[in-house]
Amino acid sequence: MTASPVLRRYAAGVDAAHAELTRLDQLSGDGDFGDNLRSGLRRVIDELDRAGTAGHGFDVAGRVFLDDVGGTSGPLFGLLFTELGQALDGSATEATDASGAGSDVAGAVRDVRRWAVGASAGLAAIQRVGEAEVGDCTLVDALVPAVAALEDDGAGAFARAAEAAADGARSTAELRARLGRASYVGDRAKGVADPGAVGVALLFWALAEVEEPGSGVTLPY
Amino acid sequence: MSLFLAEGDPVAPALRGFARVHADLVELNQDPVFLRARDRDPRRIVGLVSGGGSGHEPLHGGFLGRGMLDAVAPGQVFASPHNRQVLEASRAAAGPGGVIHIVKNYTGDRINFGIAAERLRHDGIEVRRVLIDDDLATESAETATGRRGTGATVIVEKLLGAAADEGLGLDELAGLGTRFAAASRSLAVAARAQTSPQTGAPSFELGPDELEYGVGIHGERAAKTITRPPVGELVTRMLDELLAGLPPGPDDLVVLVNGLGGTTQLELYSIFDQVADELPARGLNVRGSQVGTYVPALDMAGFSLTLTRLDPSWDRWWRAPATTPALVVKENR
Repeated sequence: MTASPVLRRYAAGVDAAHAELTRLDQLSGDGDFGDNLRSGLRRVIDELDRAGTAGHGFDVAGRVFLDDVGGTSGPLFGLLFTELGQALDGSATEATDASGAGSDVAGAVRDVRRWAVGASAGLAAIQRVGEAEVGDCTLVDALVPAVAALEDDGAGAFARAAEAAADGARSTAELRARLGRASYVGDRAKGVADPGAVGVALLFWALAEVEEPGSGVTLPY
Repeated sequence: MSLFLAEGDPVAPALRGFARVHADLVELNQDPVFLRARDRDPRRIVGLVSGGGSGHEPLHGGFLGRGMLDAVAPGQVFASPHNRQVLEASRAAAGPGGVIHIVKNYTGDRINFGIAAERLRHDGIEVRRVLIDDDLATESAETATGRRGTGATVIVEKLLGAAADEGLGLDELAGLGTRFAAASRSLAVAARAQTSPQTGAPSFELGPDELEYGVGIHGERAAKTITRPPVGELVTRMLDELLAGLPPGPDDLVVLVNGLGGTTQLELYSIFDQVADELPARGLNVRGSQVGTYVPALDMAGFSLTLTRLDPSWDRWWRAPATTPALVVKENR
């Protein structure tokens, strides 16, 4: 398998969603979110191609988004990617030994657990920094249900996480922003999904596409 | 009037010039941009780092040096620094006891300092934040954003710097800094907006007899525009509101009369003279004072008053020596 398949699928998904992400951000923010996410991921893929990274590549994605991507959301995505990098490719994850080696089922459970650990740590970091809760109309609205679905592991966990994140992203269209850039325009952003939440949901869409192909997850927009 | 800013990037050449003039006290790092102090008290085990948008000079670089800050991350005009600037400034400044971030309460600063703090913890560097939120005009139960951080920053940086020089640890300093900020309130007024670097015109219009009451330091309008009263009446009204908003505490005060960029020392010292008459008449003592342009908003014509209730145990920190480009305190004033 090609290295970092999830990031590659994610980058392709963001390329396809670029126009929609830009449209959403023009309605609620300053319109650069689609550009920032797409150009950041392209740079990540370039670096992965050059370096030939064997793992998932989220450590590289974390560094690129924290150091080089503009806007406020870019570095927040960087926090999530950094934690995913630690959980997926780091040595610190205990799930490897605990679930036993050998069978494909055990391997799949182990992967879900690694994703759950990384996404949960990323969520915690984003909430410490951004101080947003569910219902504040931010990317947290997509990330919280995705983490919950991953933590409830078992068959189909990736597809359930993708659907939960997509539902969470769609729910932001019903909310009035209290924090983040959309809070500056008040009710004018009502009916518009938060682009950061859609961007997070696309990551879990890509993950389900790679890990559980044929599960028929829907795009979050 | 800010009509002579460098074209393109107005911040970079000013930082270079600042570092050249004060080469004995500070050095400038490029990529990412931050300033650090050359000297620190050998007893200090915790680094003090601040930063924020530019256009508020001498804040923050002017307070680098022995007795105050160890490193600062300056952003573009009125814009938060990038997290990488804060990260590298903090790595350069951290002591064996870690690093304190002194952050003015603005969303962008909170997020960028917060991201840097996450990255520092990954490196194993301990970080605590002291949030400055002294602006009385933005006290409201309705918004989640809280009071803005303004003039009290200078007072907190002075007190905390002296405390750090006594070798106090990270948690002690973070607790003290939070108490310094909690004991401080500020209020600012403006008779003319700052010149917009983009248009060369005032950023907002005010009539000749109008005053923005409760203005911030980023050129935003205040919540209220009032008919401009005589300055004596204005200062009394501001003191009334500040004392009503200041949490209870000791009767000893530190007073900062701060110019917003387009206000002269003739004006600022006259205002202080009145403050120094009125506070004792209300049973309060002026234990410390600072008068000048310390936290401006480019060239806004206006001033702010900051009052900090000074606990008796903090008095020595206000008086302790400091050697910085913008604030020099000789042997225990």
